[in-house]
Amino acid sequence: MACLGLHLFFIFSVCVRDTFSIFATTPTIFSPKLAKYWRGGEESVSAALGQRLAASNPVRNAIAVYLHGAGIEAGYGFFAPNVPNNYKLVFELHYADGRMEYEIPRVSSRATGLRLSGLLDQIADTDYEPLRQMMVKILTYSVWQDHPNVTSIRAVFGIANLPTPSDFAKGEKESYELLYAYDFTFRKADSKQEAP
Amino acid sequence: MRNLTRRLEFFLFPADSDHWLGVLRIGIAIQVLLYCLSLREDWNDLFSLTSVGLIKRDLTEAVLSANSHLIPRIGWLVDAGAYLGVSEQTVLTVSWWTLVLAGFCLLVGFFSRSAAIVAAILHLCAVKSTEALTYGVDNFTTIGLFYLMIAPLPDRWAIDSWLSKTGKQDQHLQGFHRRILQLHLCLIYFFGGITKCAGAGWWDGTSVWRALIRPPFNMIPPELLIVGKSIFPVLSVSVCLLETGYSFFIWSRKMRFLWLIVVLAMHIGIGLAMGLYLFALVMITFNIAAFGPGFAFSWKLPKGPTQMVSPRKATWFAKWLLPRSGAIFLIDIEA
Repeated sequence: MACLGLHLFFIFSVCVRDTFSIFATTPTIFSPKLAKYWRGGEESVSAALGQRLAASNPVRNAIAVYLHGAGIEAGYGFFAPNVPNNYKLVFELHYADGRMEYEIPRVSSRATGLRLSGLLDQIADTDYEPLRQMMVKILTYSVWQDHPNVTSIRAVFGIANLPTPSDFAKGEKESYELLYAYDFTFRKADSKQEAP
Repeated sequence: MRNLTRRLEFFLFPADSDHWLGVLRIGIAIQVLLYCLSLREDWNDLFSLTSVGLIKRDLTEAVLSANSHLIPRIGWLVDAGAYLGVSEQTVLTVSWWTLVLAGFCLLVGFFSRSAAIVAAILHLCAVKSTEALTYGVDNFTTIGLFYLMIAPLPDRWAIDSWLSKTGKQDQHLQGFHRRILQLHLCLIYFFGGITKCAGAGWWDGTSVWRALIRPPFNMIPPELLIVGKSIFPVLSVSVCLLETGYSFFIWSRKMRFLWLIVVLAMHIGIGLAMGLYLFALVMITFNIAAFGPGFAFSWKLPKGPTQMVSPRKATWFAKWLLPRSGAIFLIDIEA
């Protein structure tokens, strides 16, 4: 029974933590003034889950392994409180003769396509710039391996704003907005990336 | 105090048959097999450091290590293979086939416990090494495999129970494990529901529209969807109320059948309209296993040392299905 209590405590705490996190970082029906309280709540629950302990702390590690092993490390706010934006990644392939082609990330099945969509969401949500750049670079590298003759590739990461039902009824389509652009140059032996 | 303890025991250890476990085992096994088949073409590209892949596993595993170095990952298997002189490609291929085999054994209930453990570990390794490419369905499959690992297997539909000819599992143990799944499901829907309720788009129908036209979920052309735009607010408010209210109404004798059917319909709708077939399958599996046939619950504490739960307290669905499946209808409860 103690194990059950602990298990349910973990599920409940993770759900509360993620709910507070969502309320603190995304627009909701609540006043933005409450954000600091949501953030405080999130930090308190994180502490209860051992996430404020040192990375090498055995309690923190034991809890982390249990949460991941039981599949309960994340909350369940799917498409909440708002349906996320639709992110796009387009590659501009630049050739030595001045030619330019466009390419998008390729997947071999619809199942992988669903996963790619999640990856683009994660890239957009990543606040740590070097990590985001690295993720885009890896995706760009896979395109370069299919087109090794290009001189450089510009990876353009943007957002497709979806129209509302009434705007769509008036004939409006989705509009695009640039978020990040990175220029990459790869060579056979090594790879070099230039500043965005 | 004694009464409270008795109530808690009555709630946590109800006598139950093992039908729910059979449903969970078969549903999660199908999920594991479909996971393997859906990634068959991309398996090596996803996990190999030398292939052309969407994202490299070393990056994902480095991010994972920020949480803990002890979370299982494909890198461990590859390193173990390298130590034994086995190439990365071979390790990945063997992993895929082992996961398929474990999924198949779980499906038919052959070496159920071992199959559940192997499938849980391999699936966890695969999911954690591609964390950036995962979505809700992977988490739910992990949850299902975790419960299968600790559940009182085998159930009566498993080959194991025919071969071993052992007696039936303790019904109270079955009831206890089912109760964990039920409580977990209630928390899932409750928090899923209240976070949706906090978004303005879920009150005016915009979120349903956005969810349906957002690639790659845009299975229905927007030109067709716009015809029914007036029902989006009704649909989205219904989803909010359905999910938030699930935790409460699913325990009510009068409401549970209706709630279950509507939730199942919602998941079928999501599966068909958004192409999230695997997600629909895993949620339907969880719902039927947790609150499907055989689920009978009453807040009233039984009197006397041993009582029988009245058939009136079982759901209409259970009354219809159980006699046809040869299940025990009257459930004894020990005080």
